[in-house]
Amino acid sequence: MNTRASQPTTERAHGASSETRSNQVPANSPGSTLSNNVLSVRDLNVSFNTENGVVHAVRGVDFDLAAGKTLGIVGESGSGKSVTSLAIMGLLPTTAGVTGSVRLNGKELLGLSDKAMSVHRGNNIAMIFQDPLSSLTPVHSIGAQIVEALTIHNPSMSKKAKEARAVELLTLVGIPSPKDRLKAFPHEFSGGMRQRVMIAMAIANNPKVLIADEPTTALDVTIQAQVLEVLHRAQEETGAAVVMITHDLGVVAGFADDIMVMYAGRPVETGSVDEIYYGPRMPYTLGLLGAVPRIDSVEKSSLVPIDGMPPNLLREPTGCTFAPRCPLAVAACLTGEPRLEPVPRLEPVRGLDPVPEPRRNASPNPGHRAACIKADTLGPSSLGALADARRIFHAPPVPVSKFDALARSERETVLELKDVRKHFPLLKGSLIKRRVGTVKAVDGVSFDIREGECFSIVGESGSGKTTTLLEIMEFDADQPGEIAIGGVSNKHLGDGRAKTAIRRRLQMVFQDPSAAMDPRFTVFEILAEPMEHLGLGSAEVRRRIMELMNLVGLEPDHVNRFPNQFSGGQRQRIGIARALTVKPRLVVLDEPVSALDVSVQAGIINLLDRLRAELGLSFLLVAHDLSVVRHVANRVAVMYLGKIVEIGDIDVVFDDPKHPYTRALLSAIPVPDPGVERTRERIILRGDLPSPLDAPKGCNFASRCPVFAALPASLQEKCLTTEPPLEKVRGRHTEDRQFACFYPDGLLDTEMLVVHETSD
Amino acid sequence: MTNLNAVDGASLAEEARIEHNDVVIGKATIILRRFVRNKAAVAGLVIFLALTAFSLVGGLFTSWDKATIDPLFIAEPPSSVHWLGTTQAGIDLYAQVVEGTRVSILIGLVVGLLSVLIAAVYGCTMAYYGGRVDKIMLFVLEALIMMPALLVVAVATGSGGGSLRRDAPSWLLLVVVLLVFSWMGTARLIRSLAMSVMQRDFVKAARYMGIPPRRIVWRHLVPNIGSLLVLDVTRGVTAAILAEVAFSFIGIGIRLPDVSLGVLIGQSTAQVSTFPWMFWSPLIVMLLLTGSLAMMNDGLRDAFDPHSSSVGKAKRSQKARAA
Repeated sequence: MNTRASQPTTERAHGASSETRSNQVPANSPGSTLSNNVLSVRDLNVSFNTENGVVHAVRGVDFDLAAGKTLGIVGESGSGKSVTSLAIMGLLPTTAGVTGSVRLNGKELLGLSDKAMSVHRGNNIAMIFQDPLSSLTPVHSIGAQIVEALTIHNPSMSKKAKEARAVELLTLVGIPSPKDRLKAFPHEFSGGMRQRVMIAMAIANNPKVLIADEPTTALDVTIQAQVLEVLHRAQEETGAAVVMITHDLGVVAGFADDIMVMYAGRPVETGSVDEIYYGPRMPYTLGLLGAVPRIDSVEKSSLVPIDGMPPNLLREPTGCTFAPRCPLAVAACLTGEPRLEPVPRLEPVRGLDPVPEPRRNASPNPGHRAACIKADTLGPSSLGALADARRIFHAPPVPVSKFDALARSERETVLELKDVRKHFPLLKGSLIKRRVGTVKAVDGVSFDIREGECFSIVGESGSGKTTTLLEIMEFDADQPGEIAIGGVSNKHLGDGRAKTAIRRRLQMVFQDPSAAMDPRFTVFEILAEPMEHLGLGSAEVRRRIMELMNLVGLEPDHVNRFPNQFSGGQRQRIGIARALTVKPRLVVLDEPVSALDVSVQAGIINLLDRLRAELGLSFLLVAHDLSVVRHVANRVAVMYLGKIVEIGDIDVVFDDPKHPYTRALLSAIPVPDPGVERTRERIILRGDLPSPLDAPKGCNFASRCPVFAALPASLQEKCLTTEPPLEKVRGRHTEDRQFACFYPDGLLDTEMLVVHETSD
Repeated sequence: MTNLNAVDGASLAEEARIEHNDVVIGKATIILRRFVRNKAAVAGLVIFLALTAFSLVGGLFTSWDKATIDPLFIAEPPSSVHWLGTTQAGIDLYAQVVEGTRVSILIGLVVGLLSVLIAAVYGCTMAYYGGRVDKIMLFVLEALIMMPALLVVAVATGSGGGSLRRDAPSWLLLVVVLLVFSWMGTARLIRSLAMSVMQRDFVKAARYMGIPPRRIVWRHLVPNIGSLLVLDVTRGVTAAILAEVAFSFIGIGIRLPDVSLGVLIGQSTAQVSTFPWMFWSPLIVMLLLTGSLAMMNDGLRDAFDPHSSSVGKAKRSQKARAA
């Protein structure tokens, strides 16, 4: 398989006649004849007409994809990766202008009418969408929808055969008791299950090409691991070529054969996984790699932020589109967009181990191409790609807080939770409501946060981490447990004024920065609101706002803008600034970076690190991305079904997890390192989080536990009947870690373990 | 993160807007541009403004007024003296149509604006406080919806409202009655919309910052349902005009000597074939009025709707596609 991109044709769009294209096709594809490629895309261009003019969203994408191979398309949002996939599928609105060539088994797809395209869609070429919740029709059963996909392309198939095939497909994607589930409706499935059904539908007709557009972005890490596994199996089963579109470099590291990095609508670097991950030649790729926090990194270092924003695609770029953000840009970069050209072959450098100065081989490598005039001088140095990224992008030094030197026990407690509970009654009956059960969203959670510390809660969705946050924010006297903020307990709270005073010490940063700000307010109004409420004078308010804008790294003269005039990362900075207006001691962060691009995320994470050190703030961080948690947090609590199953120092817990759930969570995180990914042993948890309603009597986790499954029946009894207490490891009382498991060192069930051999 | 929405033109426009600060377009400009792009909506606006102007100054062009009887012209078709003819009582129809249009527009605007205002206050209050307050207020709302409006109008404007009728002009009475019965649907809509705004993070953020409820309602809630309010005003105006016409048509709304379009249409239905001009001229004016409002509403909805596809088509080369 050979991912290629032809030179940017200046006369694209209109000039891309079949003549020029036919010249390109046979060229530069040594060893692979056209017949091997099921999908070949040439000079694909997409433009949209908008209020501001024509936006050129995709500019000259070329690639070939052979059967059974996987191409990962990586890039920030707005880089044109989704538009590319939709253009291939012919799913763009008619208002979009699409030019170029998309050939499926040599047949041209572009320019086909919607009706003609429908013959291919779902049959030869299928797509898996990002959001499984909205891609299934809620009013039809799963079975009916799979059968529909079969009926359309196989009208002669008998009803019985279709049903048998549907059962077969559901079995393949790992849905338990598939025969009964055929009659189930989408709402009866969890997100991960729905995505499996989507995959089943996509592979129903044995497609030649499978396009997966961020298939796991909306899912939990454990479920993501399951779905990726299913996707892998589906590919093996059907032999389809897969186009995997993602922003997560970790996801594709272990999955793809080739990578295409897109920026501003154009591929800027293409090559095999190893070439891209171990020897990136384009500064953008290098930056992306350095921006990803690593779950496996022990050594603390700042992430690589890529400053600035992607260019405006309204105008024809005159120079390299990345030049304004590139630390290596020179004057030559601004004249003419660099072409995607083969780069000299290098000895691949595996892993992060320092190697002697790599031998540069002069012969160009046709598989690895980069669009950078400095591609020849870049390439892995003796320190490895990550260190290069840090050096080139001037990653800031790791900030040190004045509290870091103090022992934890000597620092003041800013927040203390004792046995906090939140139970929701489950009611039934239309007229007279009967209590049929209790949902224990949070069930006896206790922890404390000291000054200058970042405490993190992790777990799957539904584990109760956000509910815990909300209980703290509500600070309600009715809470059965005790919440003490800066020594003031919710039990001994006077009037509303005392509560308002407490609010000043505790502020929150929301997950989605654009939703958390009134779109009708300017930044100034947003930041002034909490201060005005406290009765600060207007002069002081203005002074403080300017100070805050500087602190979070925004231009002070941007205060008169509206939130929608900022990018996602800038908006989150405003959100952080707003939380800091009233000088709180503790900031509660609810998934602060999950809505952001990797490069932007790195900037925010660095900012949080710096604020913690400079202002002596404490953070309570809720995040599902364990790599981010590893990078930011000092202590961590792992929650499962409303209970903390493991808590302690981040390095202790993450390096040597004791609870099987923590072990599973950690193993589900993909590492942006293809070498590691290929050999890594993964625990794939079975099923989803059980409904909190029928929570088991003994250990909550027993139903999915890989250790439990491997235990002899005599020992299983204990897990099923007694709830394991949260306690320290016997004999290691000085260690900052507690966990709730009877058999922490138990063997794992081999059926739940998966290792990907380097089969391809 | 990329999602499927990223391909629709509107969000791409927004991204482009964010990326280049020098091309920032204000929201108002976008709404105006979108509205102007909808030709029908602009035509509707022009017609509506013309009709309003006609109702205000139309009377200046004729020497007749709505009450003077011309004994020489009884039930005569349009002529140079009486442009739209006369009624069976010998009153100039043009003068009556001008007067009727004014009354109808007045009723429409007053009822449309006030009912939305009442609905906004009521709906937002319900949504903000929720719980018991919401339940009680919702019960009142449901009770009002159940009430037969027709009967109340008949009683209030008919014999039942004796003293009221002496003191107030019949159009004012009708306005009050229409108001009482027109805001409930909107209030329910606003309640549900406000409830969804309440769930948004910025309201939560304000609450966690300790901002008092009243301020949240006024600073965050009301402005964020503003576009719905604008749409509902135009819809409400149309509905009120139609209700007035309907009530007057069956003889329980505006009563003579006051005239409205409904009264004029109602009077003439019995003899459409004999005196067609009496029927058609007020009817056409009414259709123009409600039609123009409907066209405007359509354009406004397009302009306010963030998911609107109101952008031009990208030029594409058929030749390149075919190749």
